[in-house]
Amino acid sequence: MADQVGRKMRVNKLTAWLACAVLLGVGPMLLAGGQTGSPPAKKSKAPTKASTKKPPVPDDTPPNKALGSKTAPITLEVFSDYQCPACKQLYLDTLRPLIDNYVSTGKVYLIHRDYPLQMHQYSREAARLANAAGRLGRFEKVDAQLYSRQESWEKDGNLEGALATVLSPAELKRVRELAKSGKMDPFIESDLALGQSRNVNQTPAMFVSHQGQLYPLPAGVVTYSLLKRFLDELLHQ
Amino acid sequence: MTISKILLRTGGAALGAVFLYAAYTKLRVSFILFAMAIDSYKLLPEWAALWLARALPWFELLLGLALLSGILLRYTAAVASALLAVFFAVMVRSYLLGQQINCGCFGLGEALSPKTLARDAALLGLSLAVTVGAFLMKRANTVLAAGSAPASTMAETQPE
Repeated sequence: MADQVGRKMRVNKLTAWLACAVLLGVGPMLLAGGQTGSPPAKKSKAPTKASTKKPPVPDDTPPNKALGSKTAPITLEVFSDYQCPACKQLYLDTLRPLIDNYVSTGKVYLIHRDYPLQMHQYSREAARLANAAGRLGRFEKVDAQLYSRQESWEKDGNLEGALATVLSPAELKRVRELAKSGKMDPFIESDLALGQSRNVNQTPAMFVSHQGQLYPLPAGVVTYSLLKRFLDELLHQ
Repeated sequence: MTISKILLRTGGAALGAVFLYAAYTKLRVSFILFAMAIDSYKLLPEWAALWLARALPWFELLLGLALLSGILLRYTAAVASALLAVFFAVMVRSYLLGQQINCGCFGLGEALSPKTLARDAALLGLSLAVTVGAFLMKRANTVLAAGSAPASTMAETQPE
C-alpha cells in the first residue's frame, strides 16, 4: 500500500515536472508566434529586434531611381545629366507635369538614367548623391532638388548644401558616405553603357517603351504638350 | 542618249531616292515624333510644327517620285534645291546657336553635327547641279530644235 502511494507520488511529481517543462518550453514559443525548433528565449527576442530595425540593403542592389508603378502601360526612360541646363529645363517644364498627370495616375513608369557628361565638373558627383539617395528611398526629393538648385551648386560644387534642405542630417550623412564609398559608380556606369548602346550622344535623351516597342524621342527639350499628345496616342492604341 | 543626259538622269534619280528614303523614315513613325524634332529648332509655333510634320513627309514622297521619273526634271530639281536650301539654312542657324538637337533629316536619333551639315550641303550641291544642268540641257535642245527646224521642214517638203 505504502509502495503504491509512493509510486503515485513519484508519478505525480514527474507529471508536474513534465507539465512545468512543457509550459516553460511551449509557452514562449506560442507567445513568439508559434515558432518551433530553436531555443525559445532567443527566438522570442529575434523578431522583436527585426521589426524595429530594417535589414541593411545589399550593396549590389540597384538604387531605386524610378517613379510610378512598374505595371504602367508606358515606360519613359530619361538619360540626364544633373548639370546640363537643358536637362533642368526638361525636368521643370516637362517631367514635373508628367509626374503629376501621368506617373502618379499609373499611366507612365518614369526611370531616371544617369548620363553625366565629362564637360560638367560636378555632374558625376551629383549622380552619385542621387543614386545614394535612391538607395535610401529618397530619390524623388533629391532629384528635384538637384535640378531646381542647379544654378547655385554648379558654381562651387556645394551639392550637399543644396540637399541639406530635403534630407535630415542623418540621411545626408548616410548619402554622403554611400556616395563617397564608390559603390554607386557601377550603377552610373551601367546607365552610361545602356545609353551608349542606344546611341545616346547628348542629354537629355528620352526613350518611350510601349507594348514591347522602343521609341527614341528627339534629343533635347521636348515640350510637355507634344509629349502628352504622343503618350495619349500610345495609350489609345 | 548623251553622257550629259545620262548624268542628269542619274543625279535626278539619286536625289529622288534620297527624298523617298527621307519620307519613309518619317512616315513609319508617329508624326508627333517628327513634330517634336521640328519643334526643337524653335522656329515655328507648335501648331505649325504639327502641320508641317503631317505635310512634309508626303511632299518629300511626291517630290522623290517626280525626281525618279525624270518628268519636268528642271522644275522638280529646282523645288528640291529650294527645299534643301531651307533645310541647310535652318540647320546652320541651329548649329551656330549651339542647340543640342536632332537633325530630324532621316528619322530620329541623329544629332545635328558637322557631318549632317556636310551631307546636306552635298545634297544641295547635287540638286543645284541637276537643276542648272537640266535648264541648260533644255535651252540647248530648244536652240538645236530651232536651228534644225528649216532642215526638217525642207526634208518634209522634199519629194521621195
